[in-house]
Amino acid sequence: MPIIVNLDVMMAKRKMSLNELSEKVDLTLSNLSILKTGKAKAIRFSTLESICKVLDCQPGDILEFKDNL
Amino acid sequence: MSTKNDYFLKTLHVISWIIFIGLCIEAGGFIFNVFFTLFFNPEGAQKFWTEVNLSELYYFNQSHYVTLTSIMIIVTVLKALMFYFIVEIFHNKKFDLSHPFNENVKRFIAKIAYLVLGIGLFSFWGSEFVENLVKEGIKLPVLQNLKLAGADVWFFMGIILLVIAKVFQKGIELQNENDLTI
Repeated sequence: MPIIVNLDVMMAKRKMSLNELSEKVDLTLSNLSILKTGKAKAIRFSTLESICKVLDCQPGDILEFKDNL
Repeated sequence: MSTKNDYFLKTLHVISWIIFIGLCIEAGGFIFNVFFTLFFNPEGAQKFWTEVNLSELYYFNQSHYVTLTSIMIIVTVLKALMFYFIVEIFHNKKFDLSHPFNENVKRFIAKIAYLVLGIGLFSFWGSEFVENLVKEGIKLPVLQNLKLAGADVWFFMGIILLVIAKVFQKGIELQNENDLTI
């Protein structure tokens, strides 16, 4: 899929662990892991909103479009 | 709700077992009676099964007798196989009402659909065969007693089940997509 999830990059920039993020955005670890590894088929606006709020970033910082993949 | 569903599924399981055992007895009885009448006692054709007197057919043509009884056996075995699959899915607890859209249920419905179509096909063949024999002047029991009635209903049911299997396929795709929506 040409949509890349850069959640791990943003987490590294904010020095936040997956456990901490899952507690703050109220998502299970397995769901966050699916999102982080790019296995997710879709993301809800509400999920994106809470991740952006916690990581203090824009949706574009988490999602990236790369056509040549 | 869950207890109600559990009770409902358990009841269906018990009913399926009873029907499965009944059909096995019937299929076994047919097979035994065919061999018994062919090799030991032709008089047995008079009381082939309850309200089934095939003596006239037996003395008219033995190969017709074997054909008709073989169709009856095939139909009954297919019915028994269908209930075996129903009992099996209940026994293995693959029928989960909280997650109904899964591969096991889809495969089960498709299997039952093909079996039902097979029952319809053989019932239709049997009923046509009986009709031709009756035209030749042989007295035969009614189709209900020969367990060959309702071919059209079996066909109709098989096609509906195939459509349901297709719907389940779409349901599984939607369920997978929903599971992977974060």
